[in-house]
Amino acid sequence: MALIEINNLHVSVQGKEILKGISLSINAGEVHAIMGPNGTGKSTLSNIIAGRDGYQITQGSVTFDGQDLLAMEPDARARAGVFLAFQYPVEIPGVSTSAFLKTAINAKRRDQGKPEIDAMEFLKLVKAKNKALGIPDDMIKRPLNVGFSGGEKKRAEVLQMTLLEPRFAVLDETDSGLDIDALKVVSDGVNALRDPSRAFLVITHYQRLLNYIVPDHVHVMAGGRIVKSGGKELAHELEAEGYAKYSTAA
Amino acid sequence: MRATGLLDHPFREAYAAKLGALPGATQAWVDGLRQTARGILNASGLPGPKIETWKFTGLGDLAKVPFGPAACAQDIDVRDIPLGVPRIAGARRIVLVNGVLSEALSDVIADPAGLRIASLKYLLAREPQTLKPILGGLAASGSLPLAALNTAYMADGVVILADKDFPGTTLHIISIGAAGSDPVAFHPRHLISLAAGARLTVIETHVGLPGQSYLANPVTEISVAQNASLKRYVMVADDNDAFHLAAASVSLAAHSSLDAFHLGLGGGKVRQEVNVSINGEEADCRINGLYALNGKQHHDLTTVIDHAVPHGTSSQLVKGVVDGASHAVFQGRIHVAKDAQKTDARQLHKALFLSKGPAVDCKPELEIFADDVQCAHGAATGELDPNHLFYLMARGIDRDAARALLVAGFLEDAIVTITDETVRAAFSNVVQSWLKRRTA
Ligand SMILES: Nc1ncnc2c1ncn2[C@@H]1O[C@H](COP(=O)(O)OP(=O)(O)O)[C@@H](O)[C@H]1O
Ligand SMILES: [Mg+2]
Repeated sequence: MALIEINNLHVSVQGKEILKGISLSINAGEVHAIMGPNGTGKSTLSNIIAGRDGYQITQGSVTFDGQDLLAMEPDARARAGVFLAFQYPVEIPGVSTSAFLKTAINAKRRDQGKPEIDAMEFLKLVKAKNKALGIPDDMIKRPLNVGFSGGEKKRAEVLQMTLLEPRFAVLDETDSGLDIDALKVVSDGVNALRDPSRAFLVITHYQRLLNYIVPDHVHVMAGGRIVKSGGKELAHELEAEGYAKYSTAA
Repeated sequence: MRATGLLDHPFREAYAAKLGALPGATQAWVDGLRQTARGILNASGLPGPKIETWKFTGLGDLAKVPFGPAACAQDIDVRDIPLGVPRIAGARRIVLVNGVLSEALSDVIADPAGLRIASLKYLLAREPQTLKPILGGLAASGSLPLAALNTAYMADGVVILADKDFPGTTLHIISIGAAGSDPVAFHPRHLISLAAGARLTVIETHVGLPGQSYLANPVTEISVAQNASLKRYVMVADDNDAFHLAAASVSLAAHSSLDAFHLGLGGGKVRQEVNVSINGEEADCRINGLYALNGKQHHDLTTVIDHAVPHGTSSQLVKGVVDGASHAVFQGRIHVAKDAQKTDARQLHKALFLSKGPAVDCKPELEIFADDVQCAHGAATGELDPNHLFYLMARGIDRDAARALLVAGFLEDAIVTITDETVRAAFSNVVQSWLKRRTA
């Protein structure tokens, strides 16, 4: 059985249908990529997986590890191992990044019956991960995402993913706004987590990221539907030809 | 219509019977102050809705409670300082029970050189001449209704006199309301006087024994001389059946400073009123605050800052969270006199609704008569941002914990205005436990 199973998902926002029957099946150990033009519903799909409200799910289902994901609260999904690296992480003044990270780590540990993380252990862990991701140590002292540059925000998302060790991670345009060095660092962070028990859904507008995070499957999304699926060569084809030929499919 | 008032109530007689026994009654000038105050109360009663500055805080319900004067008796046996009182490391504790100094509960140590601490009662009886220049001058009954009520029945209080260049210490005045079987009213009068160059930190914590009905009516007169600086941290966490009607009048001389923080967590009905006169050039006044309300609590922070001379600075950041059916009031008047050029006055009030039930009334008032000044004020109310909540929950943090984190985050910039680190940590803990109780 696939780790995540999306079946004929239809989603509307304020009466307007955005997702028009998405089906996608991702096995543990696999990396899938979704590519597609802006406004096609990629972030909508990510948000539905993570549990943001404000959407009407009119049809279909999402199953994660055999559980009905859509019936779970966002926090329960996260603790069960679902992670979304946001396209636009929000700035939260007054909440320090380190307090937030510790609370999130401990929420998961509590669910697993583990004791809270020790303060020293936490600092050591974050320091090690920061180093790998090129994040300055004092960033976690700052309020969550407040005043972070675009690149810092994306690194911080990957830091969170690395600390929370999800079983299924969706990366929603994590590459946008990153220069080539940052792109490599972020990709290394993702690749380090790849293992047979985990799955990734990498959403991107550009093929560039997929040179570093090499996917097993590539899907083209247009007009709220998956209009083509293939291997990693599909990404190169898109890069050469663009999305124009899929726009009629929408 | 005349406002309802303590003086209309049958227990007026109970008060009348005690008048002769009030400390200082034999001093003509003290008696004169009290008579003037009683005259004002008799003529106009307690402030009612027709008085502009009282329109959001009605005192009608006060008249329904048959308060008796706690003024002269100390018949309630309070053996311990209640657990809700934060422990401020290094602070000398001065404890009042129903407005009367309790030697048993206070730290008894010798005053350091340059500082004198005495009870109002003692000084009225033994050294009235020490009080004469500082009692009733700043909090005049005619201009301050709560001072009139206090002056009419004041029986005790804490008098703190810091000599010139006193280097500073931390005092913690703890006021405990303990009515016993019948509701009581108490009217402590505190006097804080800093001579030139002196420094002092005063924390005031107001609490009550649970389930007790009392009226606390503390009035504080504060005079800060040239180059002196006072840090004043007030925490009101009275019982939900209690009334707390407090007023402080502060006079700031040249190059002096007041750094104040007012934390409001309770009492059924609370008014914290602060009146500051900036009388000397380059004085600095900060009145920050935070309130967190629930149930049917009513909390009113009313400040008046009067810039009478040039080059004064004042700044205010007040933040509040409201839940249940509570009612918060913030009124901030800033007056800049014609001569007070180069004044810099800032004020910001923000309230966060945790549910649909509460009400918040905010009234900033800028009266600026000088032309070369910097004045800015702002006010905002809102709810938690659902995008923030979702972000935290998407990381596995449950809804209640996420809300608590966000509320704490909202309050954080108010908390950091508490410049004394020990007090900041203590007040921050108190606020954290409030948040935990809320979600428990
Ligand atoms: N909350 C919303 N309210 C109204 N329209 C929305 C909302 N979220 C998304 N949409 C619309 O849905 C479509 C898909 O958006 P989105 O999922 O963000 O696309 P993508 O991520 O592929 O660029 C767009 O037309 C967008 O305007
Ligand atoms: Mg998007």
